[in-house]
Amino acid sequence: MNIKHHPTDQTLMDYASGSLSQAMELLVATHMTLCPHCRNKVSGFETMGGAVLENTDSMSMSDHSLDHVMAMLEREATNENIVTEKLPTMRRIAVGESITGSTMASLPRPLAELLPEDVTSLDDIPWKSLAPGVKQFQLKSIESKGTVRLLKIAPGISIPDHGHHGHEMTLLIKGSYIDEIGRFRAGDVADLDDDVDHQPIADTAEECICLIATDAPMKFNRLLPKLLQPFFGI
Amino acid sequence: MTGTKSKRPGPADPVEAKKCADWIVSVATTRDREAFAQLFAHFAPRVKAYMFRFGGNAETAEELAQEAMMQVWRKAHLFDPSKAAASTWIFTVARNLRIDRFRQRKHIEVDDSDPTLIVDEDPLADEVVGRDQEAVLVKAAMEELPADQKVVVELSFFEDCSHSEIAKRLNIPLGTVKSRLRLALGKLRGGLEGVA
Repeated sequence: MNIKHHPTDQTLMDYASGSLSQAMELLVATHMTLCPHCRNKVSGFETMGGAVLENTDSMSMSDHSLDHVMAMLEREATNENIVTEKLPTMRRIAVGESITGSTMASLPRPLAELLPEDVTSLDDIPWKSLAPGVKQFQLKSIESKGTVRLLKIAPGISIPDHGHHGHEMTLLIKGSYIDEIGRFRAGDVADLDDDVDHQPIADTAEECICLIATDAPMKFNRLLPKLLQPFFGI
Repeated sequence: MTGTKSKRPGPADPVEAKKCADWIVSVATTRDREAFAQLFAHFAPRVKAYMFRFGGNAETAEELAQEAMMQVWRKAHLFDPSKAAASTWIFTVARNLRIDRFRQRKHIEVDDSDPTLIVDEDPLADEVVGRDQEAVLVKAAMEELPADQKVVVELSFFEDCSHSEIAKRLNIPLGTVKSRLRLALGKLRGGLEGVA
């Protein structure tokens, strides 16, 4: 995978500090699974978090705090209650072939875990039609601040010029699209501030599937059906 | 702010930072109580201050600092000194506990055993610098930041502040927050590159 577009440093720093919305965090963790470059950057930001912790004015713990903690831990030890952090087995969700080679073998764990249990490939997703050539699937169990959805865009469909109300990030899963910023392929992230306007076009003969996370309530949703038109039909 | 404030000296050099990492390893391998007591003395008051910034309540902060230290005991075997310094790892433990308690959810992370994980074919040259040394360098660089940049970095990590909220709080334009952060990050990274 040859990733060319990454989340901004700002976004990666917010991921490390733990101040992203759950929607954004999901998208970043999915990208990071595929991107050692961003994993490295995030470790760097976590090191900064550690440095802020070291440099902070500390607050004294109450008397006998340590004794209390030791007593609790002792009680646990006798109960053999040690955390093993064994994660349940990974679910494999196939992404499918791409004629241009822009795809991933299966969905990274952070995303796979949030899909309905009976889904074993992207084709199983109960897509809902949003507009001609555009289908969406809204992911559940996400904090109320922000939304996260999968979008499936037919070849040649353009999503008309739109700005962003708040922060929006898109992760390409399959296929590709092109906009004013460049060409986006599987694994790439478009990390857009509210001041960016763009007009993405699914630019090859195959459909484009992407994950979109937003912090603001989705304005996009309302705009889409009205404005969407097939790119080649204009 | 309730509770007594005291500025304890942090690990000033890589030897000190390495000591903290060794303590965690001792806790993992031999359930070493003396090592845990040392970690507790150093980190619990800092984690308490961290939690206080988010919770605003000394009692909750105390309880969460205790809980974080209990997790340090329970999860010590997951600590890998080749991947993170002690302060970095404990920061992530505190961060995750904070998100769990204040936002009632898990911090979403990369699973290292995920079969879709793409590994680095070209590990960075700075791997030769130990994690402890790296943490000490970042800490030193942080101390040398001009006050206006430092406060922006601190607010980013120690409060649930978006950049626009930081701008509001400090009464400066959003662009200024962003440029100060960019400058600070440049310096913090520059500090690291100087060693390799």
